[in-house]
Amino acid sequence: MKRTKGVASGLIAIVLSAVVFLVPFAFIVLTASKTRGEAALREFSLPSEWAIWENFLAVVQARDYMLLAAFVNSTILTVASIVLMVVLAAMVGYVMQRRPNRWTPLANALVLAGLIIPPAVVPTIWVLQGLGLFRTLPGLVLIEVAYGLSFCVLLFRAFVATIPREVDEAAVIDGAGPVRLFFQVILPLLRSVIWTVVIVQAVAVFNDFQNPLYFLPGDDHATVQLTLYNFRSQYTTQWNLLFMDILLITVPPLIMYAFFNRQIVAGLTSGAVKG
Amino acid sequence: MHSTHRPLLPRAAAGAAAAVLAAGLAACSTGGDDDGTLNILIDNSEATGSLMQALVDAYTEAHPDVEIELEIRPGGTEGDNIVKTRLQTGDMPDLFFYNSGSLLQALNPSQMLTDLSGETYLDSVTDTFKDGVTSGDAVHGVPVGQAIGGGVLYNLAAYEELGLEVPTTWDEFMANNQAILDAGTAAPVIQTYGTESAWTSQLFVLADNYNVLAAEPDWADAYTANEAHFADTPAALAGFEHLQEVAEAGYLNEDFASLTYNEGLAALVAGEGVHYPILTNALTEIEAVDPEGVDQLGFFGLPGDAPAEAGVTTWLPGALYLPQTNEDPGPAQDFLAFVASTEGCDAQTAGVSVIGPYFIDGCTVPSDVPPAVAQLQAYFDAGLTAPALEFLSPVKGPALEQITVEVGSGIRSAADAAALYDEDVKKQAQQLGLEGW
Repeated sequence: MKRTKGVASGLIAIVLSAVVFLVPFAFIVLTASKTRGEAALREFSLPSEWAIWENFLAVVQARDYMLLAAFVNSTILTVASIVLMVVLAAMVGYVMQRRPNRWTPLANALVLAGLIIPPAVVPTIWVLQGLGLFRTLPGLVLIEVAYGLSFCVLLFRAFVATIPREVDEAAVIDGAGPVRLFFQVILPLLRSVIWTVVIVQAVAVFNDFQNPLYFLPGDDHATVQLTLYNFRSQYTTQWNLLFMDILLITVPPLIMYAFFNRQIVAGLTSGAVKG
Repeated sequence: MHSTHRPLLPRAAAGAAAAVLAAGLAACSTGGDDDGTLNILIDNSEATGSLMQALVDAYTEAHPDVEIELEIRPGGTEGDNIVKTRLQTGDMPDLFFYNSGSLLQALNPSQMLTDLSGETYLDSVTDTFKDGVTSGDAVHGVPVGQAIGGGVLYNLAAYEELGLEVPTTWDEFMANNQAILDAGTAAPVIQTYGTESAWTSQLFVLADNYNVLAAEPDWADAYTANEAHFADTPAALAGFEHLQEVAEAGYLNEDFASLTYNEGLAALVAGEGVHYPILTNALTEIEAVDPEGVDQLGFFGLPGDAPAEAGVTTWLPGALYLPQTNEDPGPAQDFLAFVASTEGCDAQTAGVSVIGPYFIDGCTVPSDVPPAVAQLQAYFDAGLTAPALEFLSPVKGPALEQITVEVGSGIRSAADAAALYDEDVKKQAQQLGLEGW
């Protein structure tokens, strides 16, 4: 009796998640396969004429193969921002948790300010222009790091608190210097929270629209999210190409998920239990 | 324990952080855009894109040594923000395309844009257009594209079937609506208040400006000076009242609250609705989706209460502007001269289907245009046109579309809506620092 109940609720859960996740995805695929006139109706139906290959070519070739350059830019942006965020936030979180002194409250206030104070576009561009970083990918990487760092520092700081201090002491007694202590002893212990940060921030940076739009203008520098504007405008929208673009942009994160499925789930759950 | 590693750790951490930062910055010498090409920032609408591409292709064919790159930005409020940001930070390319009229005035043109009034090529641009790109004594823009009419697109087949005539007064228009309603096969008037389509609700008010000016020739100046308002000028209030009348008579399509602009156009072509008050650049969108649909539509100006001659309210196309931050304006000026010449409009005609007359002297429109375009052209030939209020006055409130959606949905009365809109424009007029507010 109990068992059939479990099977039934399991089935309901599977059906529900299929409806919630697969139906929108099916809508994207179907619309991406339609001709322009048919896609403009935005109906959930099979296309009367399959144009998936034509749409694929049109999207990839649009504006001089902008999408391909955008994928390169987005990859560099995401990887570089996340490496910087993880290393810097882990260091800051570790120091703030392990060695509080009279500057710690100030540092704390600054971290919180980073979460609370909204970014302003024109002054930030002014600073970037002064540094010679405006319109450059490294400039945008620093922007993403600056906006994401506070959140990461809080996560790392909370997690370091769960690592026993005795681990540090044992390492120091065994002769580890400060650099070795951090990179070889502490950093590996932070693995699960690092996964959490990587997942959360990779999604945030890869999907970011506003910052690339304002801080990295120019077709050469476009990121994938900005290519959506090739097909969508105030008065006219090519829905079939827009959805094809969405489909192509959704694929890389999906592939990543398929490969790193185990680590992602392990990272999220272990972080949840310990944090 | 603490004392042994306290002095070491901060220094090591700082050193590591600096190393990481340096690695991140190592590749930062790219960027910069001054490589001799002419860069032009345009919005991402298909119409602008294909017009500009046609102009660029024709220009580079005549000047093979010049390279022109089009850079694309979003439209709407987001696009406004980008244009303002890039002007303020001195990051605007050599030329940019933007709206004329009240949106241009919001850019602070006299401080940001180069005055072109001394250039000889501007002589061939008509005065109607120059009025829309003038601030103080300075003229700033060269038109790209054709005049746009604001009025009613209607389904020709339905008119033929029911034996209706194009209405010249509001009463005739309402009689036609009643006839369509009685026939029972289609909605008399299409309204679309769905996602991102609320702007379409403003047409009853904005496209009525020809009739307002016919009754009150000084309306625009008095309005800018805060001497006349929508609520206390009967001719201006009529636009709001007409929308209320149409809604109360049950002439609207049933799904007006959720229908979008694109769906509204499809419904009009399919004959599910007969009248759609809209701008004629909708024809570009219809042609892109359904090339034969354009031939099934006609156009007339929004009828007024009793004008002797029915006319149409017109919108000016956008223009190319030269920012003051351009340090080497020679090539840009040369391109502007080309756009303002008859070769320029011939290139536009060759590249894109024409939807209205040009604002450049000597430019002609081909004779085989769709019926709606021919009807719009007839108004221009007869001289029965007047610009929309936003090209005569810098005062335009941001909330008009929400207010007219309320009127069309029967939530707010016309008189109430007009008074609310008068309140709404007050803030904007004060921000612009106009006298009398």
